[in-house]
Amino acid sequence: MESLTDASLKALSLLVSGDAELWAIISISFGVSLQAILYTVPAALLTAYALAHFEFPGRRTLVSLFHTLLAVPAVVVGLTLYLTLSRSGPLGDLKLLFTQTAMVLGQMALSFPILVAMGHSALQSADRRVWETAHTLGATPLRAMFTVMHEVRYGLFAAVIAAFGRIIAEVGCSMMVGGNILNYTRNITTAIALETSKGQFAQGIALGIVLLVLALVLNYSLSTLRHRLAMQA
Amino acid sequence: MKPPLFLFRHVTKRFGDRVLLNIDEFAVSEGVCTLISGDNGAGKTTLLKIVAGLIKPDSAKVRINDIDMSWAKARARIQRNVVYLHQDPYMLDTSVERNVAYGLRLHKEPRARIYEKVADALRWARLDHLAHRNARSLSGGEKQRVALTRARIVNPSVLALDEPTTNMDQQSRISTYQLIDELRNEGMAILVASHDQTGLTPIADHHTQLISGKLIEAELAFKRSRGTKITRLPR
Ligand SMILES: Nc1ncnc2c1ncn2[C@@H]1O[C@H](COP(=O)(O)OP(=O)(O)OP(=O)(O)O)[C@@H](O)[C@H]1O
Ligand SMILES: [Mg+2]
Repeated sequence: MESLTDASLKALSLLVSGDAELWAIISISFGVSLQAILYTVPAALLTAYALAHFEFPGRRTLVSLFHTLLAVPAVVVGLTLYLTLSRSGPLGDLKLLFTQTAMVLGQMALSFPILVAMGHSALQSADRRVWETAHTLGATPLRAMFTVMHEVRYGLFAAVIAAFGRIIAEVGCSMMVGGNILNYTRNITTAIALETSKGQFAQGIALGIVLLVLALVLNYSLSTLRHRLAMQA
Repeated sequence: MKPPLFLFRHVTKRFGDRVLLNIDEFAVSEGVCTLISGDNGAGKTTLLKIVAGLIKPDSAKVRINDIDMSWAKARARIQRNVVYLHQDPYMLDTSVERNVAYGLRLHKEPRARIYEKVADALRWARLDHLAHRNARSLSGGEKQRVALTRARIVNPSVLALDEPTTNMDQQSRISTYQLIDELRNEGMAILVASHDQTGLTPIADHHTQLISGKLIEAELAFKRSRGTKITRLPR
């Protein structure tokens, strides 16, 4: 077993030298999580808008359901998806288990409730006059929706950033449905878990640094957005 | 005489136990300016929003071209024809210019033409020096002027103005009165809810008071002298 200092130095050199395996892992992480966010945002924001703007029975229950879903651990989502995609599962014929697609699906499921819950709060904070102004000036319902979304855009960006932060850092679901296959489904978090269990820390530390830097960047953007939100109010 | 554009009948609206509106008849006619007055909380804003199709009444009928229909059925039609101006206007979080352009950009018009119109309207409203400022940062009276400009530029058949002059200075008030007069003379139907009776009665054709949920025809304090009666252009 190597010392922590040795491992850290090695980690830095891996990062700086552009180690192919390391950067493949990083790009898989970003590729999967960005796809997941991209596919989830439209549906989630539509759902959030519907929850914020239409009166229908069961609306409040649905809102609390999404808030509850925020607390579901990634491994539980992973387990459910695993059972669905495994050979004997209902979608077993699609042969999606241990593919990037399965990871994308898992992360979509994880990000959906965050986007809906945070998007709903943001949209709900929109002044009713926005909707009225848009409508009275001739906007179609769809156009009015975009106008409302534009007015609370910082809150919506914050939701997207928070959701991205959660899924790029989750390990349970990707591990279960991705299978940690090198150069295919091995992402930052599953690689850290694997390398550490093998007693090799350098790659794990390098990847940990990447996640930390990302967390810093995301948090900085969030606080900038919050500041904008406060200025706007 | 032409029938009204919209004849609202049996309009009721309650909040909880309180019956706010219980109006038998309310006509919106081309080239007519109606002043609606009433105490705070009398229901002027609520009435205008119902007329603009923005909030649902508990019940209401609308007669359009001699055909009676429910408010719900008429809603799309009235929304298309009526532009409502908030008592406390909402400024979209963008420049003054884009706020004013909002309604025009919803229709398929060449961008260059839109911004030409916007520039003209801003110049008229003496807001051209603010064109590129964020509308959120304006003063109350400036916001009201932007909102009025934003509403009139889409050239609706009916303009429902909710306290349009409250925050305005003297000069802006006078030009608002002039604008109302001008638009009405061009055939627009104008509804103004306002406490500013001295300023508005000289241009209004009717004055109606909202008291205990009913509309009561009131005397115009200052009747327009006959000589100034303007011929209305049919649309
Ligand atoms: N959504 C609502 N829920 C409950 N009460 C409401 C609602 N909207 C309006 N009201 C009530 O209806 C009454 C009339 O309100 P409205 O805004 O129409 O009055 P107004 O005549 O425009 O008053 P002002 O001169 O102050 O503008 C008020 O007492 C108000 O509290
Ligand atoms: Mg009012």
